[in-house]
Amino acid sequence: VKQHLGRQSGVQNVEVSLLDGKVDVTPKEDGQIDPVQLLKATYDSGVTAAEMNMTARGKIVKDASGRLALQVEPNRSFAFTPNELSKGLEPLADTQTMVTVHGQLYKKPEGKKKRDLGVPLTLLILEVQKKE
Amino acid sequence: MNLKRITLLVLLGSIVVVPVAQAQVKHIEMRVEGMT
Repeated sequence: VKQHLGRQSGVQNVEVSLLDGKVDVTPKEDGQIDPVQLLKATYDSGVTAAEMNMTARGKIVKDASGRLALQVEPNRSFAFTPNELSKGLEPLADTQTMVTVHGQLYKKPEGKKKRDLGVPLTLLILEVQKKE
Repeated sequence: MNLKRITLLVLLGSIVVVPVAQAQVKHIEMRVEGMT
């Protein structure tokens, strides 16, 4: 797992804990990392990703379909799974306010071997850490 | 002279501030199954 993930672009460091099955990925300073590629690389390494959480900083935008999203790069944004925390960020949409959030990007569906990775990941906000 | 100092301060300030102000993925954590 460590080798597979370490080869992905934008990855600075990978820490694997065999005991609790935890994998920590530190992105490079430029932050140009693709979570979908990480999930694919995880499956390629022969293990199943049960859950992926992410901490990211960016602007709140509304995407083409009107959904709120966190834009982390000019061409990469993560649409929010609607919840109370995402509703609280709605007034910040399309402003210059930078927001740091921690949330769940992927969770393996119950009973299924794995989720279809062709479907775009959405971010379920678990915590709003900073607004600036 | 003052103008030079102010220009230098602004330059140094922007070097420090720009990386901090960037949008980015800061950390990713995964829980995996089937790892040996």
